[in-house]
Amino acid sequence: MTNRTPLPVRIAKAVLLAALLLWTLVPIGWMVLSSFKPDNAITANTPQVFFKPTLEHYQALFSGGNSLWSYVFNSLTVAGASTFISVVLGCMAGYGLSRIRLKGKHHLAFWIISTRMAPIAAVIVPLYLLFRYLYLLDTYTGLVIAYLSFNLPFAIWLMTAFFDDLPPDLEEAAMIDGATKWQVFWHVSLPLMKPGLVTTAILCFIFAWNDYSFAQTFAGPNTQTIPIAAAQLLTQTGIDWGKLLAIGTIVVSPMAIFGLLVKRWLVRGLTLGAVK
Amino acid sequence: MALRNGKRSRSGQGFELAMMSPALILLAVISLIPFFSIIWMSFNDVSLMGGLSFDFSGLENWQRLFTDPDIRSSWITSLIYFVATVGLEMILGTLIALLVHSLVRGGNLVLSLLLIPMFIAPVIVGLLGRFMLDPSHGLYAWLLQTIGLFNGNILGNVGSAMVAVVLMDVWEWTPLVALIVLAGLASVPGDIIEAAEMDGARYPQLLIHIILPSISGILLVALLIRAMDAIRFFAIIFITTQGGPADSTKIIPIRLYDIAFRFFDLGYAAAVGISMLVFSILVAIAFVRLFKRQETTS
Repeated sequence: MTNRTPLPVRIAKAVLLAALLLWTLVPIGWMVLSSFKPDNAITANTPQVFFKPTLEHYQALFSGGNSLWSYVFNSLTVAGASTFISVVLGCMAGYGLSRIRLKGKHHLAFWIISTRMAPIAAVIVPLYLLFRYLYLLDTYTGLVIAYLSFNLPFAIWLMTAFFDDLPPDLEEAAMIDGATKWQVFWHVSLPLMKPGLVTTAILCFIFAWNDYSFAQTFAGPNTQTIPIAAAQLLTQTGIDWGKLLAIGTIVVSPMAIFGLLVKRWLVRGLTLGAVK
Repeated sequence: MALRNGKRSRSGQGFELAMMSPALILLAVISLIPFFSIIWMSFNDVSLMGGLSFDFSGLENWQRLFTDPDIRSSWITSLIYFVATVGLEMILGTLIALLVHSLVRGGNLVLSLLLIPMFIAPVIVGLLGRFMLDPSHGLYAWLLQTIGLFNGNILGNVGSAMVAVVLMDVWEWTPLVALIVLAGLASVPGDIIEAAEMDGARYPQLLIHIILPSISGILLVALLIRAMDAIRFFAIIFITTQGGPADSTKIIPIRLYDIAFRFFDLGYAAAVGISMLVFSILVAIAFVRLFKRQETTS
């Protein structure tokens, strides 16, 4: 095939590919690079490629009274808790939904997915009122509930899609051998679900970790997450770009690595199983 | 198969129900209570001053919704934003998928690199946009100035701000479309293509007559997913222009956020929110229909 491709076509492809990679990677690369620049190199009128690298922005972030550590801790707690609950409950429900024979099952599935697709701005308004009424503003519980509103339906759908793929033969064999349904689930189906569980967990974690809109409305001084720390630096007069770029790098790097780890199952995950 | 069904019906479905119930009960609590409260809110004048108070106002919020010129202009802005972002993402994403698919070597690495924007928090995309476009030291602002294409504050001018926020969304989400389409390309029958090539078919012909028809279902899935997300998310605009300048990027979620949390007109915000919900439910119905059709054909 390749040898038949004419040279001009190959060159055109290479140029196109280079352009695409530049368009995609330049902003990220420039952010990471600039986070190691001294302030005067960041705000210079012409772009600076050569400079004396410094860790001062990262050091500034993690020292002093308003250290980033508490934001990191909040982010890990809230994203971690919502991920854990979503994966455990979503896995159980996904198995149930995949195996149950129920009239109007698709209505149930539709209801589940519709809660996931609800516009965030529209969900925030009633949740804000409820949280205020129940004193859940500025609490971990409040944020975890908010994140469950999108992560739980996501986990249910995705796990259903994964369980749908599991060939029934193994389960049937175990049933014939006299295993109970719980034993079949626990000892036969669940061990085969590792890729599904990991994919679901990673995607749930990324969604919660990256959230800005919910945290912006529901978090307070005690529960602010890292994206909020970034946004706060942005609204102050005289933006501290150095710190901001360092935060950006910290928020982005682990998620990019996580995301690429589940690349194989990403299509599955992000189309909620609609594409195999 | 008969055995499986027989076994199933004899032992009942209590186990499946028990497995589903914790998640479904929790989901019901966290989705239905807000759902009914937003409906109730839309018929009230909700005030936060001196404690929470509801003041029944009938259809007042709804009448406002249909006569408010600000809302109408925000829907139009949203429409432009949807069509521009989703349209560009579909076209570019399909092109990227075709390109990556045709790579003989390095396709995996290239794909990994191209996917990175998807994992970046929208707030960081917004931040990055502001950094790159900053009129005094942004790399892209400098570039546009140097080649003489644009001189000034990109995010501070009416037309250019819209172009910028659209391109930021395109930057973040085109990879998702590419990834989905790429999955579809794997299902294009290779032997048919080879046979057609033997018969002397050229690439454009192959594309129009074989490749595109066989990935049409998946293109539709990608389209619906992006359409849904386009109304779901608003953080990029929130962080870059907050709807300005002169409301030129005030898409409906931003307008809603303003009404609710700048003017604290929560009843009216609820009515606007319901109109958004209706829109997304219509898209969701299309999505599920399509999903079911795919399932029956495959």
